[in-house]
Amino acid sequence: MNENISRLMDGELEPSEVDGVCAALKRADVVATWTCYHMIGETLRGTPVAAVAVREAFAARLATEPTVLAPRARPPSSSGLVTWGFAAAATVAAVTVVGWTAMSVVGDPPAAVAKAGEASAISAARVRPSTIPADYLLAHQEYAPGAIQGVGPYLRAVGTQVSDAPSDQP
Amino acid sequence: MGIPEPRRSGSRARRAALAPAALAALLLAGPVRADDATQWIARAAQAARQLNYAGTIVYQRGNRVETSRIVHLNQGGKEYEKLVSLDGPPREVVRSQGEVRFYYPDAKLVRVEPRTFRNAFPSLSPEQQKSLREYYDFKLVTGERVGGIAAEVVAFEPKDGMRYGHRFWSDASSGLLLKARIVNERGEVVEQFSFTDIQVNAKVDRAMVEPSWPALPPDWTVKELSAGDVAPHETGWTVTRVPPGFTKIMEGFRKLRGRQNPVAHLVFSDGLVAISVFVEPMAAGAPMPGGMQPTQGGLNIYTSRQDDSLVTVMGEVPGATVRQIGNSVARR
Repeated sequence: MNENISRLMDGELEPSEVDGVCAALKRADVVATWTCYHMIGETLRGTPVAAVAVREAFAARLATEPTVLAPRARPPSSSGLVTWGFAAAATVAAVTVVGWTAMSVVGDPPAAVAKAGEASAISAARVRPSTIPADYLLAHQEYAPGAIQGVGPYLRAVGTQVSDAPSDQP
Repeated sequence: MGIPEPRRSGSRARRAALAPAALAALLLAGPVRADDATQWIARAAQAARQLNYAGTIVYQRGNRVETSRIVHLNQGGKEYEKLVSLDGPPREVVRSQGEVRFYYPDAKLVRVEPRTFRNAFPSLSPEQQKSLREYYDFKLVTGERVGGIAAEVVAFEPKDGMRYGHRFWSDASSGLLLKARIVNERGEVVEQFSFTDIQVNAKVDRAMVEPSWPALPPDWTVKELSAGDVAPHETGWTVTRVPPGFTKIMEGFRKLRGRQNPVAHLVFSDGLVAISVFVEPMAAGAPMPGGMQPTQGGLNIYTSRQDDSLVTVMGEVPGATVRQIGNSVARR
């Protein structure tokens, strides 16, 4: 269950699994886990204690409103397709990007946090970055079909940002 | 802007004769067959490798638009290509046979990569042809124009939400690919490139495809990249919920530079696009994988953790597809 809560927060839970987690959230120990995870997340982002304030009211509401947490169907643009515009804005200042060389990118803010309306307070640059090794991209390109293949990878590379401190993969 | 009339040469005329014949075969066949449709694109891609041309390419992903100048030369079967960005920071990409050099003058950096087309339009397995038929509708459209040139269009329209729609425009006479577009389920353009002007069979010489920095200034950095060799092998990893229509076309280990352990690499394809799954041990203290990653045009990337391993999934498919795969990677 703990893993499912984590996945729900990250927006990774399959739709079919969401009901089960929401039902479990009526239990105090599961709510405690939920609260704890959010506190960890918020502390990491430098915005601690917000979760504590809402915890009691949250638990009380949950007891009476079984659907309060049921996520509405999200359009793919918010669940999956993070636009490059967002990525570029987030990466320019904080992360070294050298074309495909070391495409350090910024992870999705956890969906549950976003839902709570707190996302705007989170600087994208402070969200945990992860690194996609350029080797992976290169290896994938070998198999990526499509007539765009000839120039596609170059065009993508041409448009990427370069910082003054190109870094190797981790 | 005036578009020069393509020059005719013996070999070119033969190639030009191929395209309408292929198209006629498709039209006569009634419903477009999957294999014909992919062969049609393969010919377009082949023309892009064989012909000499110079033109301006507009590349779009999401709401970003970039313009580049491209010159391509095929000299005695050897390919040379130069791509220069016209807006934004200066960039130059020079391809010379099997090697690609990316020049970043603002960072005083040049990146060198091998260019391997391991799977550039292979003949499709019967299973993949079946996938294409079952999961895409094909359409051929004539009468459109790209860069002032009459174009034929082949459209792959997905029947489910697990893949994008793809459209390819090619020069009706030379078969050269003029435009390609990836659209999502709402019909929005995810990624597109298009020639705004092009000179097919242009007079191109070697000087036009040489880098602007033939001798690299001493204060530049050279970075060499390699995807490593891949040896087909059982990796011990499997995907339990492969999206419908995708089949595994490769499984093996890659030895990547800077890594002690080989990386498991699995490739899935629906006949039109590929999805790569990479699995490697997670380094101690490494940050937790961040889920969906910002897209690079039509390429979606998803990272997750499986036991003590880092799973990275990428492909020219919607986010939900890489996510489903990333969340169902398991030990065999």
